[in-house]
Amino acid sequence: MVAEKNEQQIKPEGKDGKKKDAKVEELTEEDQELKSNLELMVERSQDVEAGVQKMALEAMRKEIRSATSSMTSVPKPLKFLRPHYTTLKEFFVNMDSGENKFLLADVLSLLAMTLVTKEDEIPESLKYRLLGSTEDIGSWGHEYVRNLAGEIGVEFNRRQNVGESVEELLGLARQIVPFHMTNNAEPEAVDLLIEVEMLGELSQHVVANNHARTCLYLVSCSSYLPEPEDLQVLEVAHEIFMKVAKFPDALRVAIKLGSEDAIATTFATCTDKMEKRQLAYMLARQGITLDLQSGPAAVEDDQETLQEIMSNATLTESFLTLARDLDVMEAKTPEDIYKSHLVEGRSPSGAAADSARQNLATTFVNAFVNAGFGHDKLMTGTTEDDSANNVTWIFKNKDHGKMSAAASLGCILLWDVEGGLPQIDKYLYSTENYVVAGALLAVGIVNCGVRNECDPAYALLHDSVYKENPAVRVGAIQGLGLAYAGTKKEDVQELLVPVVADDKTRTEIVGFAALSLGLVFVGTCHEESAQAISTCMMTRPEADLEQPLARLAFLGLGLLFLGKGAAVEATLEIAKTLNPKVARYAQIVLEACAYAGSGNVLKVQSFLAIAGEHIDKESEQYKNEGNAHQAIAVIGIALVAMGEELGTSMAIRAMEHLLQYGDPEVRRACPLALALLSLSIAELTVTDTLRRLSHDTDEEVAMAAVLSLGLVSAGSNNARIASQLRQLSSYYYKEPSLLFLVRTAQGLAHMGKGLLTLQPYHTDRQLCNPAALAGILSTIFCAMDMKATILGKYHHVLFYLVTAMQPRMLLTVDEELKPLPVSVRVGQAVDVVGQAGRPKTITGFQTHTTPVLLAVGERAELATEKYIAVPPVLEGFVILKENPEYMETSV
Amino acid sequence: MGQNQSGLPGGPGDKKDDKKQKKKWEPPAAPTRVGKKQRKRAGADVGSRLPNITPNSKCKLRLLKLDRVKDYLLMEEEFVTNQERLKPQDEKNEEDRSKVDDLRGSPMSVGNLEEIIDDSHAIVSSSVGPEYYVNILSFVDKGQLEPGCSVLMHNKVLSIVGVLADEADPLVSVMKVDKAPLESYADVGGLESQIQEIKEAVELPLTHPELYEDIGIKPPKGVILYGEPGTGKTLLAKAVANSTAATFLRVVGSELIQKYLGDGPKLVRELFRVADELAPSIVFIDEIDAVGTKRYESTSGGEREIQRTMLELLNQMDGFDARGDVKVILATNLIESLDPALLRPGRVDRKIEFPLPDAKTKRRIFGIHTGKMTLSEEVNIEEFVMAKDELSGADIKAVCTEAGLLALRERRMKVTHADFKKAKEKVLYKKKEGVPEGLYM
Repeated sequence: MVAEKNEQQIKPEGKDGKKKDAKVEELTEEDQELKSNLELMVERSQDVEAGVQKMALEAMRKEIRSATSSMTSVPKPLKFLRPHYTTLKEFFVNMDSGENKFLLADVLSLLAMTLVTKEDEIPESLKYRLLGSTEDIGSWGHEYVRNLAGEIGVEFNRRQNVGESVEELLGLARQIVPFHMTNNAEPEAVDLLIEVEMLGELSQHVVANNHARTCLYLVSCSSYLPEPEDLQVLEVAHEIFMKVAKFPDALRVAIKLGSEDAIATTFATCTDKMEKRQLAYMLARQGITLDLQSGPAAVEDDQETLQEIMSNATLTESFLTLARDLDVMEAKTPEDIYKSHLVEGRSPSGAAADSARQNLATTFVNAFVNAGFGHDKLMTGTTEDDSANNVTWIFKNKDHGKMSAAASLGCILLWDVEGGLPQIDKYLYSTENYVVAGALLAVGIVNCGVRNECDPAYALLHDSVYKENPAVRVGAIQGLGLAYAGTKKEDVQELLVPVVADDKTRTEIVGFAALSLGLVFVGTCHEESAQAISTCMMTRPEADLEQPLARLAFLGLGLLFLGKGAAVEATLEIAKTLNPKVARYAQIVLEACAYAGSGNVLKVQSFLAIAGEHIDKESEQYKNEGNAHQAIAVIGIALVAMGEELGTSMAIRAMEHLLQYGDPEVRRACPLALALLSLSIAELTVTDTLRRLSHDTDEEVAMAAVLSLGLVSAGSNNARIASQLRQLSSYYYKEPSLLFLVRTAQGLAHMGKGLLTLQPYHTDRQLCNPAALAGILSTIFCAMDMKATILGKYHHVLFYLVTAMQPRMLLTVDEELKPLPVSVRVGQAVDVVGQAGRPKTITGFQTHTTPVLLAVGERAELATEKYIAVPPVLEGFVILKENPEYMETSV
Repeated sequence: MGQNQSGLPGGPGDKKDDKKQKKKWEPPAAPTRVGKKQRKRAGADVGSRLPNITPNSKCKLRLLKLDRVKDYLLMEEEFVTNQERLKPQDEKNEEDRSKVDDLRGSPMSVGNLEEIIDDSHAIVSSSVGPEYYVNILSFVDKGQLEPGCSVLMHNKVLSIVGVLADEADPLVSVMKVDKAPLESYADVGGLESQIQEIKEAVELPLTHPELYEDIGIKPPKGVILYGEPGTGKTLLAKAVANSTAATFLRVVGSELIQKYLGDGPKLVRELFRVADELAPSIVFIDEIDAVGTKRYESTSGGEREIQRTMLELLNQMDGFDARGDVKVILATNLIESLDPALLRPGRVDRKIEFPLPDAKTKRRIFGIHTGKMTLSEEVNIEEFVMAKDELSGADIKAVCTEAGLLALRERRMKVTHADFKKAKEKVLYKKKEGVPEGLYM
């Protein structure tokens, strides 16, 4: 017998092979004994008598199971049994069915694990498992189950391809999943279910203590799965959270899903008063309002509070609380930001500079720095020199400068509808059209992100949309767009669609109106607006379409489909039929917007190809299409990739290549794309690149880079960038346009005195506020043709940024919604998906007392046991509950 | 800047011109003082580094993430190849390079950078002559300049035209094992538990880090092999080097003792820096007792230097800077004399003892060594295996070799039992330093 076995010994792979031949006889005594025992069992198991067979098989199983395997080698019994695999297999085929056959199948299944399976064949281990007994799958250990799970995946695909039944595989998967779920291997369970396409069954295996890990894994997967699966995964996660009654989590996933039904159901199902309020806070951050009076989300008690929270009415008050707590209430003058005394070399304060530009820059810096604080030194002033000073400041600006100056008042009074509107009111009746226009815009800005039941913005603005003066119209239209960004307010559509549709409207007004429509109906695929804009684009003459501001209309159209993916297809077809001058441009804008944040690699690829074209200025193609679409493609790359961190960092890499190889048009868009990828994240790699570009020989690249520096550092008070900007201000002291941008960037860097952020992604970078993204995109699109917009008459497009301004705070409140200072740890967030145990979620933390500021990429956790936070992610407003199990330990 | 324009009359008339000039002027980046640390960061922070992929355990998420990164890299590749096809950069680069070469001139002299004065000036000294105040040409990467580094200088005006990359200490590069030793695990007789332990502690963390992460433990960092001479410590290390794909650096403790003060610790630092750069890597320090003995009050400068070398070793093994995939194997036969700090968990997590072989092992060792010899029929290895003498693995090898030599002396083609007997006596005689067998005292 032994001799026979040696002949058919399969040559094991690897280095074991060499030594095995050499020392077949060199086995130690125990090994020898084990080997002969096993051989005996193999022989006995082929016995004719069932009893003997059974005993032998049982013994074999026992031997295999009791073998303590080391991580580094194959367990001994398996090693010795392997040569007999074929013998046993042959015997198995001829065996009568019965209990013994099952037992043997089990053994074979286990042995097959060590063999390599051929392609196009059912993996042997799986094959025998299916033939074997149905006893508990876990009894053979993890490695076996894991192997089996892998084989199921392979076999499932094979059978689907050839159209065989997969029922038995699913049955087996149903056994494996509970085993994984109860043994801390949730990711593996999820993987298996995704492989065999029955993720729906996951939720029945989830219990309270493993839901968190499971869902974290599911949600992380969703960013990387191909299209239909990603939503499916999120739906399952939502279902699980609903099952274990974790409503804040469920809402988070529902928002990520973008399904209004799911949001409403989650809100309605939650019964706890505190949790419901927390949900309202989360909705407010995302800019979603639910109808509490009627419909699925209607509530009976606490309606007033919930409405108030959801409409962000308390935002200004809380922001001021934060400011008071951090002791930054004192208004800052632009000079505090410029810090000219620190500038080495020539200071730009000389008379050489264009004073109108200077004043305009000062206006913007003042507006951004004091945004939301409600008072400043320039516009609102303090009591004594009040009337004299502030009126004159507006009138220190020239023509269109006055518009931005008046509008900056809105930025300072941001969110404060009740206190702010009276202050703006007096300018609404000014005799100067530009001032009126600015005031209208200011009204819009103040209402941005805040809902008020009286709807003052609409009441004040709707008349002016049809005024004679173009500036006033622009002010009113832009104001409407800002005030109702993301609200889907039908009244606005009724008001603006005629403006867009009218052939006689001036192009720039059409552009702004279309953009406002885009902002208001961002990501809704709103039928009528889309129709109106595309019809308008089709009927307009060629010359009109080429104007820089007319291009805003395409962005408006794109914003309607922001993040909606394939829903854009129909409109995309229409775009193809447009005038060839703009058709390509329109298509790319639409595609970029529709796939924003999706991480869709194919889109990135096509954009990259477009950006890589070198269009000869003489060529036919250039004459037909121009090359503006290439710049959009670059922004498109950033827009698509910004949804997840991996894509973001890879896209930043791609920008390096574009900068190296791209045409001037492409290079100009690169800094802006970089800014879009790292809004308010002043990371060294990006800022270094931008700083390099800010000295570029191509003036437009330098301009874009300077503005991007501001966007990247927005609201961070980043000292390094501040000093870089100061250096730039002396470098460009004779270039009024660049200096203006440097100043603006300085203002952005200190935005809200460092309390604000522009990053549209929030709640652990999982959710994207579409209105915020839309606002930023509007500004970035305008910045692509800087000379015609920001440096021309339309600098007020910078105010589109206000939709993205959000306090980057963590404010803890008690059950009465009063601020409640507790200590929290704030540190760099760590990705803990799929890690064992309870890993630390933050690193390098410091302990603070709330309210605290959170930078992008930072995470907070409570440092005290006394309270329990209602939401899972500590960001923005957080309601704390008393911990019932808390015991005072200190003396 | 001042010197070139000063002679010309600069009236208000050419103000515009002046401005044009001003625009051309680019403030060079602030000179970054670059030490070792910075150089390391410079390697890490440029865009070329790929993002980290979490989690480490095998799962679909990891696969998806890696796929995503791969997709992006493929796109980059496609883009760059396309661009190169459309607009070849090579020619342009070639042109630039030849221009730079022209500016550099040849031959260049090698000097030492003494001090950086400002962005474009520095003090250099050549090996023979005095020190000079010279220009730094603009194309020199200022990030790499650091006081004390070797620079290339123009042969006439002595301005700095390049930096000589400071490669790793040649002493360290010698330690790298390029050609794997021939000994494999198969050549180790017995020592099964030792092999398993060393595999778990050294090899597995490098090949399957996710296993450790699944459980939630940090893999061991280092092991020490100890035991009587000739029990196979070095052999096992060789086998590890043979089987691993990781970089294998081997040092003998005595190599770390250098002539000049501070050279020993520096060598240790360099060694670990290279190991870190080439990670994953295994550092094997044989005869660690040469530097690792217990600390004691000593007056001799040499001894103190040795102790300092050990302190550096302590720091490198588990100090402030985290080392990634660097595993350390130490070997000694005097574990009692080692400093306790060296052996604490965290530095050395596993102590693997190599005992003298027992009968079973002896048999296998004999088997290995006699396997390739032509033995006559009558040789009875069992006799030697069962003998009560304390034979180590090396002794057994010596016995076999000696027996072979004896046979050779008599021009026999086969080794007889008598040869073995004689050889064993000879070996044992040598081992017991002349005290003949059977003489009890």
